[in-house]
Amino acid sequence: MSNEIKADKTLDLKGLPCPMPVVKISKGIKEVEVGQVVEAVTTDPGSLTDFPAWARTNGHEIIDTVQGDKEITFYIKRIV
Amino acid sequence: MEENLREKLLKAFEGKLTKTIAMYLETCSRCGICTTSCHVFNSMPRPEYSPAARAEVVRRLYKKYFKLQGKFWPSLGEAKPLDDTALDDLDRAAYSCTGCRRCMTFCPFGIDTQQIMSIAKLILVAAHAEPEILSMLADVSISKGESIDLIKQGFIDGLERLEGEVVEKWKIDAEKIPIPTEVQEADILYVALAGAHSIIPSAAIFNAACENWTLSFFEAVNFGAFVGDPGKTRLIMDRIINEANRLNVKEVCICECGTAFRVLKQMSGKQSFKISSITEVHARYIREKRIKLEKNRFKGIITYHDPCQIARNAGIMDEPRYIIKHLTDNFTDLSKKPEENWCCGGGGGLVAMGQDSHDFRMKSSKVKADQVKATHASILVTACENCHSQLSDLNKYYKMGVEVKFLSSMVADSLI
Repeated sequence: MSNEIKADKTLDLKGLPCPMPVVKISKGIKEVEVGQVVEAVTTDPGSLTDFPAWARTNGHEIIDTVQGDKEITFYIKRIV
Repeated sequence: MEENLREKLLKAFEGKLTKTIAMYLETCSRCGICTTSCHVFNSMPRPEYSPAARAEVVRRLYKKYFKLQGKFWPSLGEAKPLDDTALDDLDRAAYSCTGCRRCMTFCPFGIDTQQIMSIAKLILVAAHAEPEILSMLADVSISKGESIDLIKQGFIDGLERLEGEVVEKWKIDAEKIPIPTEVQEADILYVALAGAHSIIPSAAIFNAACENWTLSFFEAVNFGAFVGDPGKTRLIMDRIINEANRLNVKEVCICECGTAFRVLKQMSGKQSFKISSITEVHARYIREKRIKLEKNRFKGIITYHDPCQIARNAGIMDEPRYIIKHLTDNFTDLSKKPEENWCCGGGGGLVAMGQDSHDFRMKSSKVKADQVKATHASILVTACENCHSQLSDLNKYYKMGVEVKFLSSMVADSLI
């Protein structure tokens, strides 16, 4: 599915200390328009629980999550 | 400020006004000893950055609303009304204090400025004037607790990516799981942070010690405590307590996160399990000869930064030095007494505020950078994620010329 998704902004969140991935995605999502998509690349296994919880509490939608060997890529649509 | 909001804020204040805090608010003699004990004041000598001045912001409200003197003669003792200006003052006071409690160590009356600042933070929360990012992070943590069954499989899948790196550090039998989860009756429930660096070294050490352990689904850090919201603090803490009780573990081991350890250890009440910091557990493994370390693998002078929430505020000072003694013959302390060590300058939620607090964090921590430089150390090791982030920022800003490392990472890299 991710091949079909066009990201409007990409955030490199690899190797960041706690809680910077969530802090940076919170700021990054505000830099795109409603309906646009942010691609966020992390290396934190905890982001697999953090990002869905963040999206739910802030009203955004994770439209795809791709787990590679080293990296996890989230595609997040700004809803509000 | 509307009267109903003021009443709401004063109710929040009153709810926190224990006899102990009232004593703190009554007894300051303005001797000024705390002034030179504060890293912020020592780095940026402005009157508002002395602990007594911070406390005075809350004290003046106390005099106005909780003392007869303030009600009838507000000009005496400089009682101040709770208005929008007061909220600005509370914000400046609360978020220029890292809660390190170094001032309390020197105060002849033992006044706990951190406790007084917790009132400032509580009033800001009640007024919805707290830093938005900290509340958001706390809400995310609480949401994880409410929906963990929906998202834990993703986390387990993510852990599988790390297994190779864990085994690379310490080989285990093929049938054993390098990062176990959901182990009933485990001896240790390890509560890490979101990052792989908080999981991989610890997993290798647990496996080397042949520990019967299990990894928590939750992150250890308590953002409710950073923002000063007791309700959120409790909800975040309860996620871990409930998990520990569900698995019926004997011990909960908190990763290198100072606030997480102090909050769970000191605020969770009586529990059926023991609560330990990872530093205590590693020292225990060495003492019991469950792990062995290669000495002097790391070259050059090594110094250790005591995280305030683990050391001064929770008493873990001997254990890290015991571990370091097994890692190097070339250790030098940052201060004569560990309890008088300078704060890194990133506590109280400041690091979590990221770039928004960067300028203040750097300028207010010059004394810390000077202290590190004076050791001529090549490695600065610590046992707290928050401190590690702040010290890494300071290293760049002040060109301290050190490598900032986690103690657990050095232990894992020295396993033999």
